[in-house]
Amino acid sequence: MSLSLRWKALAVALLVAAGANAFAQDAPVRIGYAIARTGPWATGAQVSQEPNYIMWADQVNAAGGLNVKGKKRKVELVGYDDRSETETVVRTYEKLMTSDKVDLILPPWGTGANFAVLPLITKHGYPMLAPTATGRKLLQLKSPYFFALLQQPDVMMDALAEYLAARSTKTVAFIHVDELFGLEQASALEASLKEKKIQIVAKKSYPMGVKDLQPVLNEMKSLNPDAFVSLSYPPDTFLVTGQSKAIAFNPKVFYAAVGTAFPVYRDKMGAMVEGVMGLGTWNPKSSPAAKAYFDAHVAKFKKEPDRWASAHAWAGLQILQQAVEKAGVDRKAVRDYIAANEFDTVIGKIRFKGGENISTPGVVSQWQSGEFEVVWPPQRSTSASLYPKPAFK
Amino acid sequence: MGFWLELAASGLITGGIYAVVAMGLNLQYGLMRIMNISHGEFLMVGAYLTWWAQTILQVNPLVFLPVVALMLFVLGLLVYRLCFRPIARTAANAEVVEARSLLVAFGLMFIVQNLAYLVWGADLRGYTFLSDSVEIGGARFGANRLLVFGFALAASLALLAALKFTLFGKAVRAMMQSPTGAQLVGIDTAVLHPAVFGAGIALAGVAGALLSMVYEISPSMGEPYTVTALIVITLGGLGSAGGCLAGGLLLGLVEAFGMHFTSPSLKMLLSYGVFILVLLARPRGLFAR
Amino acid sequence: MTMSGFRERPSRVTIAALATGVLALAVAPWVLNEFLLSLALTCLMYAGLAVSWAMFSGATNYLSLATAAFFGIGAYVTALGYESLTYPVSVFLGGLAASAFAAIVGVAILHLRGAYFAVLTFGLGELVRHAITFVEKKYSGTVGRVLTETPEAATVYLTVLVVALAAVAVCVAVRSSRFGLALAGIGADEQRAQTLGVNTRLVKIGGFALSAFFAGALGAAMAVRWTYIDPPAVFNPFIGFQTVLIAMVGGAQTVAGPLVASIVFSLLTELLRLQFPYLFLIILGTLLILLVLYLPGGIASLWTRKRAGKRDG
Repeated sequence: MSLSLRWKALAVALLVAAGANAFAQDAPVRIGYAIARTGPWATGAQVSQEPNYIMWADQVNAAGGLNVKGKKRKVELVGYDDRSETETVVRTYEKLMTSDKVDLILPPWGTGANFAVLPLITKHGYPMLAPTATGRKLLQLKSPYFFALLQQPDVMMDALAEYLAARSTKTVAFIHVDELFGLEQASALEASLKEKKIQIVAKKSYPMGVKDLQPVLNEMKSLNPDAFVSLSYPPDTFLVTGQSKAIAFNPKVFYAAVGTAFPVYRDKMGAMVEGVMGLGTWNPKSSPAAKAYFDAHVAKFKKEPDRWASAHAWAGLQILQQAVEKAGVDRKAVRDYIAANEFDTVIGKIRFKGGENISTPGVVSQWQSGEFEVVWPPQRSTSASLYPKPAFK
Repeated sequence: MGFWLELAASGLITGGIYAVVAMGLNLQYGLMRIMNISHGEFLMVGAYLTWWAQTILQVNPLVFLPVVALMLFVLGLLVYRLCFRPIARTAANAEVVEARSLLVAFGLMFIVQNLAYLVWGADLRGYTFLSDSVEIGGARFGANRLLVFGFALAASLALLAALKFTLFGKAVRAMMQSPTGAQLVGIDTAVLHPAVFGAGIALAGVAGALLSMVYEISPSMGEPYTVTALIVITLGGLGSAGGCLAGGLLLGLVEAFGMHFTSPSLKMLLSYGVFILVLLARPRGLFAR
Repeated sequence: MTMSGFRERPSRVTIAALATGVLALAVAPWVLNEFLLSLALTCLMYAGLAVSWAMFSGATNYLSLATAAFFGIGAYVTALGYESLTYPVSVFLGGLAASAFAAIVGVAILHLRGAYFAVLTFGLGELVRHAITFVEKKYSGTVGRVLTETPEAATVYLTVLVVALAAVAVCVAVRSSRFGLALAGIGADEQRAQTLGVNTRLVKIGGFALSAFFAGALGAAMAVRWTYIDPPAVFNPFIGFQTVLIAMVGGAQTVAGPLVASIVFSLLTELLRLQFPYLFLIILGTLLILLVLYLPGGIASLWTRKRAGKRDG
């Protein structure tokens, strides 16, 4: 199935290359992006990001086109593979902005690539709503055209600390990956825990690309903490889960950061995910809009969207759509409209301040019987939390 | 099991995984000086075939192991015929084979990866298999990891024995020592080379199948494994089956003990440091031939 | 050996053609649009990397995978020093740092040969990358640097152009010097070179360090384009692999081969990537294999063979 889809996408791309747009009555709105279809970034980009772009363009076109100040115009996506290479990202956006002269752009995948594009969007004035870039360092660059949809690390870690405090957790042990995101989360977590007077009994870090963390986990286990937090990326998130199960490390709270929200986490780890917590924002039970989004995604791609960034990517497209409806494709006007207004999205209302999404709160999610339930904060919960976490099965 | 034994066991198990990753490449390079840096890509294909069999056909991955081996063996023969035989035939010496095979393997890497993206998509994939733990003398290890370790030991020993005792093995060793001499005594390269190349690809596929039981898989997973394989076989001594196992185990132990005595942050630094130091002391690896 | 072509005194036509070419490259920022300029930049980057790689590895047959390490070291010099130094200074220092690194490790590793040398140089790159991550995290609590005020695209382009031209010029000069002959002698037969009185150790270290300078300078020059510089981004093994690939496909024993290959390869990759977004790697891989099988001497053999033929006939 996915095979035929790919061939279809190929055919579409070829048609676009051949200049098929001559047929449209009104010139289509051309929206360009570069994203990883190959290379190490593709695993994230092809789960959380590009499928949403394609589905959105299809839905908008099926409904007659994008509403540009009351006038319907088709959407034409101009998407290229960035090969998971920063230099290629930069070069492709230069092409999109100066050579293809697209009307609007969509962001690439990941914090590093978004950093690299930032000077370009500022220089050429293209608003960019980023669903897979996070970190205060990005916001500190203060590009007026950059909008971060994901919750910042400190917001997420505050929520986790609040949850832990609400369960009167006394001790936490944590590990983190030595990389921008891991480090930023780690210092945020330390600060949040200190504020809640929760004791950190162990803190260790590890480099990317590890294949074994059992000795570290054994050490953590021997300290018997109430909660264990792993600020990790997908490969290590899987590793930590599997090896914790193997050594029967069963703290009352088991939290692993990036990757837990991916459906493949549940598919790969099976029954052992029950009760594991992690970074998430939503699930199909969050709202009817979320359910509709989830169903459409499954129907189109035969796969589930992830329970964190996917919906943020969708929300970004919704915001862009609403902004274009009011402000047209005048990019400065679109940017101003996004900066000044509040939007209804699949993950609830969103408003930006200084480029940061200040409406979506920090969320703690937890796997329960096959769904990544939102368990904190209470007003967003789709289920009560399983506490203490049942032992690994 | 005492604390130290457990630490050592944990390192050995990971080391066994490294050894399994490297075995196929070692065979190819050892016999033919083919620098197959698309090794990891064939490992990835083995992993995906196993995942497919498990999720779509509900076939037990262990039962499927021989099928993967056979499929990749045939694929290996085909690849050899199309890409490497012309090189082996025309190249003046081993250094030329090495350089040109490296470039061809580059091309293969692009092709196989791209095909995987087309067929399987870029998503991470995985399935649960033997994720329960086994208790050995009070210490606990994931059953799937133990399985890979067991396979590494068994396969390495079997390979050593085959090279030592079978006629085919003797031919391979003769070829490694002196290609011309071997041909003079009637050893047929036209059979031996494709067979060994195919066996190398089959071993890569089996390694991938085994790894898919432990780790998640993706089309881009190959490159890091190629790097691991290169490090392990260079450390052990290119072409030495025993060295390959020893190299893998040594790396595993360095990581486990290094992680304990220093900090896990230093893990990669330590492995590469030990690798470089060993090569400086023994420029042709631990088990130099 | 295909060296003869470069030791002949270049004709006036060649000089005029070269001058026109350089002039055309130099005015590019004012003629090309931003995208074409950055495409030209990529060509120049790989030209500089491949030519300088071939200068050492092509001549001596020491297949080095340390390019990624040199490139990364240079980039990191920019990351750390850009705010306080000026751009040209950090580019130069980036080259020097890579050169110094190459000289120091060269002392220790240049007695290894073949695949051992290749894998070891790759390992060095990873070692440096993890060392930088560790040290940086330990002393500054974070990894990576954000560059806020970056130079104009034209400035970056012209800087890379200067470095790439310097690499070509130095490479040509080296080849016709005693030093270059010594390098080639090592490649042909190291022991014989030694018996003939070449201090092979010193020559190898010198060649390794010289070629590292350009990779380091290019890393330092390119880094400003990425805003955020962290070890995984700049110690990208792919850059090193691609350099080796280009140089060898071009014909590593020549200067013009890697030069032509870097342009052909960069443009072809870009064209295929943009035209066949889902198939370009298959096409690229197939072309590469066909090229290696049917043009065993590399792209350079297209003209060196012809020239040799002319001379014989």
